[in-house]
Amino acid sequence: MATSSAKEASFSPYEDNGGTNLAIAGQDYCVIASDTRQSRGYNINTRFAPKTFKLSDKTVLSTAGCQPDGNMVVTRIKQHMESYKHAHNKEMSTPAVGQLLSTMLYMKRFFPYYSFNILGGLDKEGKGCIYSYDAIGSAERVPCLASGSAAALVQPFLDNQVRNCNQVGKPRIMAASPVSHLSLDQAIKITKDAFTSATERDIYTGDNLQIFIVTRDGVEEQVHPLKRD
Amino acid sequence: MFLTRSEYDRGVNTFSPEGRLFQVEYAIEAIKLGSTAIGIRTSQGVLLAVEKRVTSSLLEADSIEKILEIDSHLGCAMSGLTADSRTMVDHARVEAQNHHFTYDEKISTKSVTQAVCDLALRFGEGAQGEKSIMSRPFGVALLIAGFDDDVKEGDGAQLYHTDPSGTFVSYKAKAIGAGSEGAQTELEQEYYDGMSLQEAETLALKVLKQVMEEKLSATNIQVASVTSEQGFQVYSKEKLQTIVDAL
Amino acid sequence: MASIKLKLPQAAQNAQEPITHSDGPIVTGTSVLGIKYKDGIMVAADCLASYGSLARFRDVNRLQAFGERTIIGASGDIGDFQYVQDELEKLMIKDFCLADGHELATPHVYSYLHRLLYSRRSEMKPLWNSYVVGGVHSSSSQRFLGYVDLLGTTYQSSTIATGFGAHLAQPLLRKAVEGREDTLTEEEAVKILDDCMRVLFYRDARSLNRIRRAKVTKDGMEVTDPYSLETEWAFAEHIVGYGA
Repeated sequence: MATSSAKEASFSPYEDNGGTNLAIAGQDYCVIASDTRQSRGYNINTRFAPKTFKLSDKTVLSTAGCQPDGNMVVTRIKQHMESYKHAHNKEMSTPAVGQLLSTMLYMKRFFPYYSFNILGGLDKEGKGCIYSYDAIGSAERVPCLASGSAAALVQPFLDNQVRNCNQVGKPRIMAASPVSHLSLDQAIKITKDAFTSATERDIYTGDNLQIFIVTRDGVEEQVHPLKRD
Repeated sequence: MFLTRSEYDRGVNTFSPEGRLFQVEYAIEAIKLGSTAIGIRTSQGVLLAVEKRVTSSLLEADSIEKILEIDSHLGCAMSGLTADSRTMVDHARVEAQNHHFTYDEKISTKSVTQAVCDLALRFGEGAQGEKSIMSRPFGVALLIAGFDDDVKEGDGAQLYHTDPSGTFVSYKAKAIGAGSEGAQTELEQEYYDGMSLQEAETLALKVLKQVMEEKLSATNIQVASVTSEQGFQVYSKEKLQTIVDAL
Repeated sequence: MASIKLKLPQAAQNAQEPITHSDGPIVTGTSVLGIKYKDGIMVAADCLASYGSLARFRDVNRLQAFGERTIIGASGDIGDFQYVQDELEKLMIKDFCLADGHELATPHVYSYLHRLLYSRRSEMKPLWNSYVVGGVHSSSSQRFLGYVDLLGTTYQSSTIATGFGAHLAQPLLRKAVEGREDTLTEEEAVKILDDCMRVLFYRDARSLNRIRRAKVTKDGMEVTDPYSLETEWAFAEHIVGYGA
């Protein structure tokens, strides 16, 4: 060996456990979906490890990337929301959680959570809202979003189907506009198509699809099968 | 008044056998020496009015500041040892900015009030490794006015009174300071639900006029309002003059 | 002033190199397997602790019971496992001394282990292990089978295999167990685990055919004494480079 120290497996605190998330915001709804596969390299750890979590009747958070870090982000956000409730006597709004998550991620700027989060829900006006993040807290409100291992496959599909990008004769929805013009049914159909397609091409995506639908009536959860190969 | 006062009125951390903390009670007394301040809450917003004691003709009345901004939607009026309020208002401002930074929303009036009251109790020796910041209770009372944006329509306006014991209570209308007893009675008689902000202006000045020793003018009072549209705003000299003239 | 020669740690002598205390396991245990079956949870591990490629200790117990109905199986660094055993033992004693009628159930042990491993990885001082945590709840009879590793990765599944077992045994376990968690008998479960351990012994060069097996049911726990798996090497005679 060339050098005497730092040989063999030097420790990396990170690992990519794969998984894909997607969200579409509408006038009065928000759809947040994830697959449930958890991987480690070419191994599938389990076919059902949820990575999207209901935070309140108006807010849902999904994570992808390093599972332990994503898990920590969710735990800490939940704790913070609880103490906020006691301190301020109200439930945290989705935009407030949105800002909190950004601050929380940036506070670990030099030992980041390797977690690619999507925060979805309804804002104070009852409109669908989605916040996009990078691992160190850069946040942006967008009408639709994909994150995780198949993000590069799903995002252009959403840009085309939800925001009408590169479509002839249809008005494009700007990336900076808060919501799409789709109906809830259309959004769910697009979500399912996005995941069946992503499952075909991305080995880290598959097994089951978990869809969270946030409306003024609360959060509905659906689980659908995906291909398991 | 305090017949049983003894050595128990020395320490801030010792109850008297009757269960009283004399230093805190004295601090509350200190407020009764301060200039009168009035707060009136209406559905349109909250009005704050204070008297300034212009003790010399050479005194620049503008340099007396007894109404301060905490955030764009929050203000407070004070009475008592106004120098003590610096610490409290600073704390309130930091708390409000922190909340805005972390949650991208305006802090509620109740939450800043709570934060200020938490501070008010941190006198004496620091407990549990907490640094002691103040050896005695604050000698100031605040009227904290705010407008909360995420509550039911018409419920936004908020008015809280804090005292040196760290207690806070919400009021429709409240007077503090030297003339508070007379002023409060007057407010209780004159206040009614559904009062407009303009009516609150008139009422506040009318009450101030009654309890002030000096003759009320646009220079020896300070008035501010907190509304949904304008947020916290201190009244200009001209605006004050028109209201005073109309009295 | 007389010059004093300081003996610096190797890493400090060469600023180029990072300080390395704990980046690698030393004495290691290989795969642990765990499955759900009709009556509860069954786990298995062999008795070997290797020192690199040397089969150093041949009678090591890598299955440890905590309380009445929780078993953990460890792979990875044996020293780190022994430290974790101490920590968990302290936790159990503390909980016992409270004498409040509360028992630390499997999910609690699992959660504690997860927090311990995650906090240590966040300090960059990992406990170099993968754990299988299994148990049955004393009143609800609910089965629990979970995995935790040095990064704090967690998942629950009806079949779990660590280390080499994740490659070789996991597919076999899934085929044998998935969808049959509520019907598999104890005998079937034993056979599945024995077969998988045998496969591992054939192909994992850091394994041993001497294994322990533990089962947890609503009635309690049983850990077997070490026993040997029957193996067949006659075929090796006919493979070039294998035997002859």
